[in-house]
Amino acid sequence: MKPLSTDRPVLGLAALLVLLALAMPFADGTPLALSRYLVNAIGQLAAFAVLALSLDLIWGYLGILSLGHGLFFAIGGYVVAMYLLKHSFEVTGTVPDFLQFMGWKEFPFYWAGFEFFPYALLVAVAVTSLIAGVFGYVSFRSRVGGVYFAIITQALVYVAMLLMFRNDTGFGGNNGMTGFTVLFGWPMGSTGMLIGMASASLVVLALVLLGCRALVGSRFGALMIATRDDETRLRTLGYETLRLKLAVWCLSALIAMLAGMLYVPQVGIINPRLLSPELSLEIAVWVAIGGRGHLVGAVIGALLVNAIKFWLSSAAPEVWPFILSGLIVLVVLVFPNGLVDLAKLRLVRPMGPKRMAEEIGEARP
Amino acid sequence: MTFRFAFLVLAAGLLGTAPALAAPLDRSALVARLCGSAAEMGEAAGTLITLAASGSAEDRAFAAPLARAAMEKKLTCDEAGALLTAGGGTLDAITSAPRAEQGASRAPVLSLKNRAVFELADAALALRSAASPAERASALRTLERKPGSLPDGLLDAAAAEETDAGLKGQIETLAQTAALNASDIAKRITAIGRVADNPSRRALAQVGALKQDPAYAGDPAFRAAVDAGISRIERGIAIGDTLAALYNGLSFASILFMAAIGLAIIFGLMGVINLAQGEFIMIGAYVTWLVQEGLRRAAPALVDWYLVLAIPAAFLVTAAIGVALEAALLRHLYRRPLMSLLATWAVSLFLVNLVRVGFGTQNLQFETPFYVTGGVPVIGDFIFTWNRMFAILFAVVTLALTTALIRFTPLGLNIRAVTQNRDMAACIGIPTRRVDMMAFGLGSGLAGLAGLALSPIYSVNPQMGQNFIIDSFMVVVLGGVGTIAGTVVAALGIGQINVLIEPLWGAVAAKVIVLLMIIAFLQWRPEGLFAVKGRRK
Repeated sequence: MKPLSTDRPVLGLAALLVLLALAMPFADGTPLALSRYLVNAIGQLAAFAVLALSLDLIWGYLGILSLGHGLFFAIGGYVVAMYLLKHSFEVTGTVPDFLQFMGWKEFPFYWAGFEFFPYALLVAVAVTSLIAGVFGYVSFRSRVGGVYFAIITQALVYVAMLLMFRNDTGFGGNNGMTGFTVLFGWPMGSTGMLIGMASASLVVLALVLLGCRALVGSRFGALMIATRDDETRLRTLGYETLRLKLAVWCLSALIAMLAGMLYVPQVGIINPRLLSPELSLEIAVWVAIGGRGHLVGAVIGALLVNAIKFWLSSAAPEVWPFILSGLIVLVVLVFPNGLVDLAKLRLVRPMGPKRMAEEIGEARP
Repeated sequence: MTFRFAFLVLAAGLLGTAPALAAPLDRSALVARLCGSAAEMGEAAGTLITLAASGSAEDRAFAAPLARAAMEKKLTCDEAGALLTAGGGTLDAITSAPRAEQGASRAPVLSLKNRAVFELADAALALRSAASPAERASALRTLERKPGSLPDGLLDAAAAEETDAGLKGQIETLAQTAALNASDIAKRITAIGRVADNPSRRALAQVGALKQDPAYAGDPAFRAAVDAGISRIERGIAIGDTLAALYNGLSFASILFMAAIGLAIIFGLMGVINLAQGEFIMIGAYVTWLVQEGLRRAAPALVDWYLVLAIPAAFLVTAAIGVALEAALLRHLYRRPLMSLLATWAVSLFLVNLVRVGFGTQNLQFETPFYVTGGVPVIGDFIFTWNRMFAILFAVVTLALTTALIRFTPLGLNIRAVTQNRDMAACIGIPTRRVDMMAFGLGSGLAGLAGLALSPIYSVNPQMGQNFIIDSFMVVVLGGVGTIAGTVVAALGIGQINVLIEPLWGAVAAKVIVLLMIIAFLQWRPEGLFAVKGRRK
């Protein structure tokens, strides 16, 4: 893999994202002004792109497909929602709706300290690392991989969804949490806050992109790719792949958590639907469409699919599932490497022996 | 409270006079007492109640309008006896012949105490002689409020005559309650024994209420009988609840098994997990519904048999969709199992939304044929329901047929060969692609049959596949790849554990615990319960 300093697509995309982030504040009040909706949409798209990067890191470069990444996304989201509610409570003094529904007068004890952002961040990191670490350790230790791992992670996120749908857990139950009023002193929903969050998301996206690129370009990244392509050989050579897989898995979970922390303040609500197996599958679809094992592809895939989804969910919500399933079939059958195939102009080719050989090489689990 | 006590004493006193009335009824004396003082009227009502229990049919027919008329102020006393107002005219109360009023007349007024007794008399007579079941049922409602004050034999006689089966059961239950509250202790103790013979929550409430009875504190024999009865009923209920949980678990496991066996065969063969399996279940249920609707149009006489007639349709339609899916999509993805997950998810998304657009999101309405209606009450609240039995039997037959197919047919032999070693099977001339296609069709068809089997139990809508799919994956993971035995054991285990934990900590906790147990189990046997022996791939 060529060094990061000469990887034009990654550098170019990162520069573009930073430029867009810098342009955001000036957009307000000038003739070129973006609408508030568009600013918000760009911010959400950037959060999704971070999420896609987190999945591409383990699926594209380590060959482990997680169908439960929504879990870590939701952990970040729930923690930031708790911070926002506690913070809003300090400012306004009203107990959030969901606690009133339950007939509770004050926050449960485990909400203590969440008004203090560094503590909330610490909790998010700790919870994510703990869940990812324990689950990853027991799975990788018994060498659960491939399809098995995918469906167990799916069951994990499904169970988490059922758990959060309960109203007595103190996390909002099926209504979720909403009614945030203040974010770092800015009123929620103000133009300044929207622009701030969108710019922050874009900058974080650029940083995560560069960081992931640096990681996969390093010696460590070479080991990741070697694990993906032939884990047995690597183990025979004396590398402990368990630790390597566990480290990347936890890192990926933390990036997904970060994406959740960026996402929730921008939509202003969190509910257990974020934990539905469908969302987690969709993340894999973004990556597959953009190009698995290509960081730029993952970002573009997430942006593209979600942009279409945003547009269609207002224009023709009935059609969206059909378009999504059509896109998936198109990608898996015609563009096995996603949009990256388009970039290389490797359009439809008959399934000849050469391509068979390529696929066999590429697909070894 | 004092009123009720006084009433009970009064009623008991009245019942004591019953034997004196075994002689033919003196109708004019009865009518005269109806027109008499409050005490006499009370005696008259007692006579009416006794009549309801032991009078002849004619006497009851004579007495029924009297009680009703006294209640509704349609009884007028004059110098020649009494008159009933009926349909605009007036009838003599004794002879039922039309006649006019003679001399001074007055309508007797019921005291509060007497009104209650008359209500009882009216209801008791109506239960015996009213023509429509609805009237008898409403009379029974009235009697149920005062089980302690009913005359002996009334309810037994009414139950013996009753033609409506539902009403008959209700009368018998009330008879038990009445016996429990009878005045004779020995009778009450036998009644407790009889109630405890059929333990249920209602029986527990009935017998449990006797702890408040004065006799419970006063009579040691009665106390012992009540305590023994309660503990017998409680034991019966506990057994019934356990059996019901096991039975529900068994029927859930049957559905899981049918959903998972197809997955397991396909996974063992091609390493592909079909995320659309839940939608094949859903399509099987929809095909069943379509068959029902088709029969309703074409052959209404056969509608009841739709569950049987839909078996080939449900299997063939889902199998055809499965074969088409395999040929169009999965064939190209065997070397990329993770991509095939996404592809089958796309199919699932497509099918759910297609059905949603075509049929709407509401639950489908299924006829309940007679052979899956009702059940046999066994013990406690456990009812051996036929709809669940249908699913269980269906799964057993499916299991037998699938095992036979895998073991004894050429296709089964090929499937086993390709599962064990694809390359070697191809070398000796087995058409592996064709085997894949057939096996995929088989697996999908079995899911369709699962949809058919669950349609009498669970609600059928476009989303229903989601409820089973993750549990079926867990069955495959736990059971091991491509073994029927593993799938059976895992389905039974997961089905039963889910249902057993549910009443203790709730459905969500059951799912969490099952998942944690599976993850822990995979530490011990990563390949599942019954892995096919051979090299690890």
